[in-house]
Amino acid sequence: MEFNTQLLYAHDQILLALMIFVIMLGMGASLTIDDFKAVARSPRGVFIGFLSQFGLMPLIAFSIATIFNFHPAFAISLILIGCLPGGTTSNMFTYFARGSVALSISMTIASTLLALIMMPILLGFYTSGFTAQINAEMQASGTGTFVIPTGNIVSSLVLVLIPVLLGMIIRRKWPDWAKTAEDTAGFVGIIVILYLVFTAFTRHGSLFMKTPVEVYIGALGLGLIGFFFGYWFSRAVGMYPLFQRAISLETGIQNGPVAFAVILLSFHEPVQSQMLWLAILYSTFIVITSSVITLVFRSRGQFDWDVYKNVTIHNRLFGKDYVTSYPQGFLTKRLINDPSQGTSPAQKRDVKE
Amino acid sequence: MSKRIIAENLALFYREAARFYGDLPAFATRKRALEWQPVSYSELYEQGMDLATGLIELGVNAREHIGLFGDNRYEWMLADYAVQFCGAADVPRGTDVTDSELVYIINHAGIRFAFVETVDLQRRVLELRDQLPSLKEIILLDPNGHAESGVRKLIDVLNLGSRLRIDGDRQAEIRMADIKPEDLFTLIYTSGTTGTPKGVMLTHSNIISQIKTLPGIHNCNDRVLSILPIWHVFERVIEMYTISFGGCTYYSSVKTLGEDLRNVEPTFMASAPRVWEKLHERIIKGVKSSHPVRQILFHIAYYLSKQFKASEYFITNRYLKLQHQPSWKHWFLLPLHLLRWVMVLPWYGFFNVAVLERIRLGAGGALKTTISGGGALPAEIDQFFNNVGIPVLEGYGMTETSPVISVRPSNNLVVGTVGPPLPETKIKIVDPISGDTLYPNEGLPYTGRGIKGEIWIKGPQVMKGYYKEPELSAQTIKDGWLKTGDLGMITHNNCLKILGRCKATIVLSNGENVEPEPIEMRLQQSQYIDHCMLVGQDKKFISALIVPVLSEFHQIGIPVNSGKELIVNPEVQKIIREEIRRMTSNGSVRYQQIKDFRLLPDGFQVGEELTNLHKLKRHVIQEKYNHVIEELFASDTIKGF
Repeated sequence: MEFNTQLLYAHDQILLALMIFVIMLGMGASLTIDDFKAVARSPRGVFIGFLSQFGLMPLIAFSIATIFNFHPAFAISLILIGCLPGGTTSNMFTYFARGSVALSISMTIASTLLALIMMPILLGFYTSGFTAQINAEMQASGTGTFVIPTGNIVSSLVLVLIPVLLGMIIRRKWPDWAKTAEDTAGFVGIIVILYLVFTAFTRHGSLFMKTPVEVYIGALGLGLIGFFFGYWFSRAVGMYPLFQRAISLETGIQNGPVAFAVILLSFHEPVQSQMLWLAILYSTFIVITSSVITLVFRSRGQFDWDVYKNVTIHNRLFGKDYVTSYPQGFLTKRLINDPSQGTSPAQKRDVKE
Repeated sequence: MSKRIIAENLALFYREAARFYGDLPAFATRKRALEWQPVSYSELYEQGMDLATGLIELGVNAREHIGLFGDNRYEWMLADYAVQFCGAADVPRGTDVTDSELVYIINHAGIRFAFVETVDLQRRVLELRDQLPSLKEIILLDPNGHAESGVRKLIDVLNLGSRLRIDGDRQAEIRMADIKPEDLFTLIYTSGTTGTPKGVMLTHSNIISQIKTLPGIHNCNDRVLSILPIWHVFERVIEMYTISFGGCTYYSSVKTLGEDLRNVEPTFMASAPRVWEKLHERIIKGVKSSHPVRQILFHIAYYLSKQFKASEYFITNRYLKLQHQPSWKHWFLLPLHLLRWVMVLPWYGFFNVAVLERIRLGAGGALKTTISGGGALPAEIDQFFNNVGIPVLEGYGMTETSPVISVRPSNNLVVGTVGPPLPETKIKIVDPISGDTLYPNEGLPYTGRGIKGEIWIKGPQVMKGYYKEPELSAQTIKDGWLKTGDLGMITHNNCLKILGRCKATIVLSNGENVEPEPIEMRLQQSQYIDHCMLVGQDKKFISALIVPVLSEFHQIGIPVNSGKELIVNPEVQKIIREEIRRMTSNGSVRYQQIKDFRLLPDGFQVGEELTNLHKLKRHVIQEKYNHVIEELFASDTIKGF
């Protein structure tokens, strides 16, 4: 499928840029220096998260693109989304999914900083086949050459980090404004995404029909498969349920605004509109899928969360050496046998077989 | 995962709890904001057995009444454990008990052994000792207090029992096995502020039925914050219920409540309407002082939640149904509500997580549910918390019913009602004048739903009777039916709605009972006051409606010709205010002080506001002068959104 017209008009692009700014500002406003220090405190969780985010996700994206034989532009876009760092949205979902918010924040910080190195490397690695394909097509039609603009990608990543930094400054100096910025950011994000989908619908109504089915599958599946693998991978390596849920959500939910920024700043037509379209679809679907996953996690995680909270509060109020001993048969087998006992803050409980 | 332990009587219940929940914390005492002292179920049980053995050694008999004067603290619970293990019953009262009440209760209940919590209370009891011929032993609960001569310390009695048990004393076990379900576990004197207090006899089977039938899904991961006075049976039953599922009760206080909510993050608590009013005030103040953008976000969030919940309640048939809804109307409205529900859902979802969650964190953020009892929850407050997402389950009951009669369970939460009656509890609505049964009555449309009358109840929680008051008991309980003195109706979705009182007693929002008649009689002794009626049900204080005597004011030279002129005359207002002060100055306790009054222009007429015997028809006056009463308490109510 080809786009006859540009997907976004100039004013849409400005709106999008504004949204990126507000969201990244909100992300910065939610972070403190302590959050950075916390990364060092749970290195294991952050490392597992890192493997899951930069190991699993790009591979999943690449596999989907290859299996469904994606058009190269869509393939590059999907892989780009797969290589993105996590955003603050995942922190909110993690909170409601009864996951470890501290780990989620640590992972967001770590992945955002690491993205500066990892994204160009992974992108170059996984997209080489698709890039060559576009390049060959373009050379055949005599419209120039195509390479992945590595330098541009790094500089656009640096660019989106500026509002994050600004947000952090606001948090330090004007905490009241910071809270407002945090609340508004999420709302603005949803409004702009909905607006873009709506305008795409009215302006290019046929776009939805023309979009190949596999693109929908990719946009929807990337997040879902990410959740799935993030959850089971962290479980397999013995993370505590609280951490599993955080890693799962962090893996599946990518920082959409960064994708928009990178695509707008580093790519050009004929691939830009197609890449943007997939990014918009992904951003729309991920809100719905992560809401559903969050509700599932929330109800399934109720019991281990209650145990975790109760033990934590006992240690908070009765002293850090207090051991909560549950009656026999109260804790589920899985919680008793959890190999990650020692990595969890909720380790202070008697395990009675 | 929810489990409750149940036993035949409280003593066995306590033992079962220790057997099941062993080392889990049962009660926690606050020392500092982040330093609490826990006591486990087995420790509590062991200490209780020791103390019981000590008490038996001192001469406590089975089924005797033991005074327990104090407020919420671990030692109170320990004393209660011991009393139950002795096969005795306790007579509880808070430290705010007056001297005359102390004398009355101790003598009326024939108390030989009494626990006193504080040094101050110890002093008062010692000073009154001459008037307390039956009182033999006083035991001081406060471990840090100094016991006067003739007063034992709790720890000494406990150690005495401990030594005996080490030597193989097993008298407590014998006593426990001997408890019958119909034996008293407590004798609670209701806070009759004037006249004599009445001793409500509650049995083991009463309280066990409550533990068994209270709705709720909890387990030993639950934390319960305790702020209501333990000697009120409502708080007590919630603490017993907490023991049944192995939760931990954290003793908080009104002063530290905000802090404790954040630190303990309770999942459940019993509360009075006052607690929610306070919290509501604080939340609104917080919102108003926040950033303008956040204020707007809050208002949007609240609005969306209101719309969403309204549709949800409609769809799930949980709205206030005072009148019968024809089914065509329901089917007509249903698609509209479904549409609104779907349309609002994503927006509500977003604002719920982004904005309302912050509000919920103000109440600790972990509250699954809370039961409000001991007075009616103002409608705006009720709606506010349910819209914000803190499910407040309003309950209804009285000391005489140990106490819960009905409560809204969280899966059938009809705001504005007090829910369906507990299992095994039957409710009858009776015409207060003719005595005819209005509900359930096959002869009436919808078997009498939606008709107002006096609430009668029958069930396993109904008291044995008033102690040494057979006549009063027989008047209150007829054929097993207890007359509550409250007016109410059954809604069309089978919930109970409370609509006021037909008995004179006024229950203030802090749970204190005020008998208005003696005060009214005293006021009417004034030459300037023709009639008067006290009002203040569910309010913070009492006020008076007063009919002045026109002729008296003429005589002292105040030129007024009609009631209408009279009531606006500042001179008259001043005289009446003086009269109220003069007539109520002697011996009234704090909450009885009349805070405000309104003069009525027209006298009360026989057949209208008065019965043939010149008694006040309270509900008639209440309805007729509703606007005046509302104005009186206008500053007392807090507007919702």
